[in-house]
Amino acid sequence: MSESNELTAASATLGAKVAESRPLDTSVLNKDNESIELFSVEQWIENVDEVSKLGVGVIVKPADDVQLLKDTLNDVALIALDFNNFDDGRGYSQAYLLSKRWKYAGEIIGINAHLDQLQFMLRSGVTSYKLLEGYEGFDELDYSNGFSICYQAAANNSGLKKKF
Amino acid sequence: MYQYSPEDTKFLVERVDQFEKQLKRHLDGDLDAAKFRSLRLRNGLYMELHAHMLRVAIPYGTLNTIQLRALADVADKYDRGFGHFTTRQNIQYNWIELSEIANLLRELSSVGLHAIQTSGKATRNITADPLSGLTEGEIADARPYCELIRRWLNLHPEFSWLPGKFKIAINGAKLDETALRVHDLGLRLIRNKEGELGFTVYVGGGLGAAAMVAAETASFVPVEDILSYLESAMRIYNLKGRRDHLKKLRIKFLVRELGAKEYSRLVDEDWKQTRDDPELKLNLTHLSELEKDFALPIKPLALDGFVDKVDFNYSIWKKNNVRAHKVSGHSIVNISLTKLGEAPGDATSEQMRILADLADQYSYSELRTTKRQTIVFPYVRKDQVFDLWQSLEKYGLASPHQGTLAQIVACPGGDYCDLAKAGSIPIATRVQQRFDDMDKLLDIGDLNINISGCENSCAHHHVADIGLLGMQKNGEEYYQITVAGETLHKTVIGKKLGPSVSGDNVVDAVEDIVNVYLDNREEEEKFTEVFKRIGIKPFKEKVYE
Ligand code: SF4
Repeated sequence: MSESNELTAASATLGAKVAESRPLDTSVLNKDNESIELFSVEQWIENVDEVSKLGVGVIVKPADDVQLLKDTLNDVALIALDFNNFDDGRGYSQAYLLSKRWKYAGEIIGINAHLDQLQFMLRSGVTSYKLLEGYEGFDELDYSNGFSICYQAAANNSGLKKKF
Repeated sequence: MYQYSPEDTKFLVERVDQFEKQLKRHLDGDLDAAKFRSLRLRNGLYMELHAHMLRVAIPYGTLNTIQLRALADVADKYDRGFGHFTTRQNIQYNWIELSEIANLLRELSSVGLHAIQTSGKATRNITADPLSGLTEGEIADARPYCELIRRWLNLHPEFSWLPGKFKIAINGAKLDETALRVHDLGLRLIRNKEGELGFTVYVGGGLGAAAMVAAETASFVPVEDILSYLESAMRIYNLKGRRDHLKKLRIKFLVRELGAKEYSRLVDEDWKQTRDDPELKLNLTHLSELEKDFALPIKPLALDGFVDKVDFNYSIWKKNNVRAHKVSGHSIVNISLTKLGEAPGDATSEQMRILADLADQYSYSELRTTKRQTIVFPYVRKDQVFDLWQSLEKYGLASPHQGTLAQIVACPGGDYCDLAKAGSIPIATRVQQRFDDMDKLLDIGDLNINISGCENSCAHHHVADIGLLGMQKNGEEYYQITVAGETLHKTVIGKKLGPSVSGDNVVDAVEDIVNVYLDNREEEEKFTEVFKRIGIKPFKEKVYE
């Protein structure tokens, strides 16, 4: 047989539209358990002069352009990347840019995260995460740290044997 | 031959362990079908209505006989005694039980085979010229590079959830047997004026509904910088590729919408910032180790006074299936597994074991798989070709039709594939019946006919001399004809001949096209050369007269 596609290819992408219309998270608990108010990227850009010193975080959706945050990155208290859409991989590139390229020193939290994506999130530069409901009772280490080796440079390869 | 180290094998097993847990969560109702689908596809598993299909990678199309026997064992133990070699150097099994998948994959991992990223919106198996290392004039064997890039993309944290599937091909030979420029990303090994090795990069090619030849985005990327370049090329796609429209997921749509120039500019801008990152330089120590592992196992042979046997059937077979080797005293032998009228690429476990035995005997225990779904023996001594042919004859593996027009590439089509709009294999059979005269076949020579049953274009009909695409018109099967596509010397998408032709008339149309070619051919001219000289008009007139 030559290579064919699978019939049900539509299902996953239809989910994407639904996901985009969810209300955005307006706050998140940081790693010290403090509640941090979240601004959207647009809100942040508009109000940066007033809020930059107030300890406000920014929530980045997959479709957001993280380049817009580059110049004011040091004033952002925390960045929350939204991984709700299981198939949307833009968050990994966003995490890479923020963490490895622009050396953002604050917390990069992956919110609405899925168990199966932990390994990709953490290695791309996400520093903490908050799983969606429904993943209780499973060993997170199986998914955050299920491998002994890595084959590529990444924002975070700690604990892995490097072969590249 | 190159083999995985214990740490690589461990990685494969860890991957199976994780997948087994995901499968269990799914079966227990803790992981919904849509998410599980994304995960299982990245492990090569398709769930069809009645059975499960598993696609196993054959990286750069190179197999040793231990691996081939393991594939045969899998066919017997977990399938119904069959495997299907695909057009992209993979093998598929169609009747896999979910409960056995983890054991199957563990068995394969012990011989360095896996199904990682053979499907889903991720980087797929990297294909290479099946004749890598074997032909005269090659710039370099592509396989060490394929292996390094394959490794680098293994569960890449940033690029495992792309907008669409992403297929890479690498070619180091003069002729392009990989169809490089109809891939999402194609790398051609070249040397610059200073003699340094590097790659020309092509991005955004593809077949299917919007067939496109990939644009050149970089004329020369030095070998050491290829990973950083690829990283940028994929990052731009990951961030900007269309995710909102099911039919526009592939990178070709991004390149088309932005324009190749703008896409390249974005890539270059990103690349500037990482190019000097030492962690992204290609590891030249690993490269030279791999070059040793992939070095040819043969030395030049002086076969003084050797005269090959004379036998009518042998000579015909040899003309179409044996190619010159760059190492003197050796030949490259092409073997088709299927008889006329069968779906190309099908192999029984018995055939796999026969091939493994023959490859042990005649080809230094190595085989290659090709996009024409055939098997290549890369290292056959010239004075043993006849013996090999006799063995192949005995097992029905030396049809003289191979390498002629009658060796048609047809997708499973309406007989086996749920997506098909029309039949492929029945048309192939009818064309073969029409051209059943061996003298005529030999006169026509190497002319490719490829038949796809729908726009997914699994049979690559756009790049064949004559391409047929199945479609429906008022509930009947029709075929769109394209002519003069090619990839070997340069990449050209075939031109549409005119309105689609009904199933009843399509074989006549093929015969007309072949006859126009024969009537106009001068000396040894190939189909595409005649087409270039006389244009589409004579073909059109004949078919639609
Ligand atoms: S081209 Fe269409 S009909 Fe043929 S195998 Fe591919 S998806 Fe199926």
